[in-house]
Amino acid sequence: MLVQRAREGDLQAYDDLVRRYQERIYATVYHMTSNHEDANDLAQEAFIKAFQALKTFKGGSSFYTWVYRIAVNKTINFLKQRKNKTQMSLDDLDFNAEHDPDLVALISEKTPRREVNLAELQEKLNEAMQKLSEPHRLVVTLHDVQGMSHEEIAKIVGCNIGTVRSRLFYARQQLQAYLSDYLK
Amino acid sequence: MSMNPDSENFDQLRRLLVLKRHELPPPGFFDKFSVQVILRIKAGETGEPASAAWWSWDGSWLRRLWAGLEAKPIMAGAFGVAVCGFFVAGALISENVDTATAVAADNRTAATDFVQKSHPTPFLEQEVAADFPSIPQSPVLQAPKGSLFEQLPQREIRPEARLVSWPLSGGN
Repeated sequence: MLVQRAREGDLQAYDDLVRRYQERIYATVYHMTSNHEDANDLAQEAFIKAFQALKTFKGGSSFYTWVYRIAVNKTINFLKQRKNKTQMSLDDLDFNAEHDPDLVALISEKTPRREVNLAELQEKLNEAMQKLSEPHRLVVTLHDVQGMSHEEIAKIVGCNIGTVRSRLFYARQQLQAYLSDYLK
Repeated sequence: MSMNPDSENFDQLRRLLVLKRHELPPPGFFDKFSVQVILRIKAGETGEPASAAWWSWDGSWLRRLWAGLEAKPIMAGAFGVAVCGFFVAGALISENVDTATAVAADNRTAATDFVQKSHPTPFLEQEVAADFPSIPQSPVLQAPKGSLFEQLPQREIRPEARLVSWPLSGGN
């Protein structure tokens, strides 16, 4: 078992664990910060901290949930310190974005501002996300962007499912208001 | 209004949020990621940035103070006034100290002048003795020894009245 071997100091095993979860952890931190460099630093620090704390990992939850919790807490602490100093450094959109049926439909048919391009939409969306409070942004990120269930989110965030639902509802309302020019 | 987020019409928004899934880091980013993590672990890092460690260990009070000042402008104003007051008070106190020092310095100078007039320095005394060996040294010119009372002359010098006649040229 990789976690057990990593706990005994096997760095090769821990490297395998990092490779397994790095993309999801990075993505969560990135969507929370809208900044590639910050996301890289925070995700690395989360994995380093998790390795240092492996001996305290009881196995009550999955390693995945545990690392996620470390990354989320680290990111929220970072955002509290960074308060009002948002500087976006966005990742590029991949080639598939232009062919995503949801996005194509959104831009060509329903969006009032038809001249809008994907890059502009990406920037406006990130700006709107940054206007949300950290708990609300986290829930939207985990559910609507990363596709996690309410139950998984409740475990990571450490609250009940009802709280997750109400936060998600409120966050979506806020986003809808911020992005009303691009939605109809 | 229902609080169930899935029952509300957020379809447009959810479609838009799909865009975030297409934001990806530069190609090859994840190839290096785990290597960097392992290198940092080998280097003995604890997962805390250096600045954060400093803040949390030594500067938490400063961080809280700063956060408080940021949150409450009135507090920031009061803090600014307090700092200004501190400097003004410091300036006033230092001015008083300067005056007292100057008075003390004046007193010291006056006292030094008095002592120097009464008791010239040994250097001057030696110069006088070298240039005029025949002149007996006045007890007053002796180097100060012990207390001032001990330096009083052994024999009193009393003024003597003498008749002096000055030859006047061309006078009556």
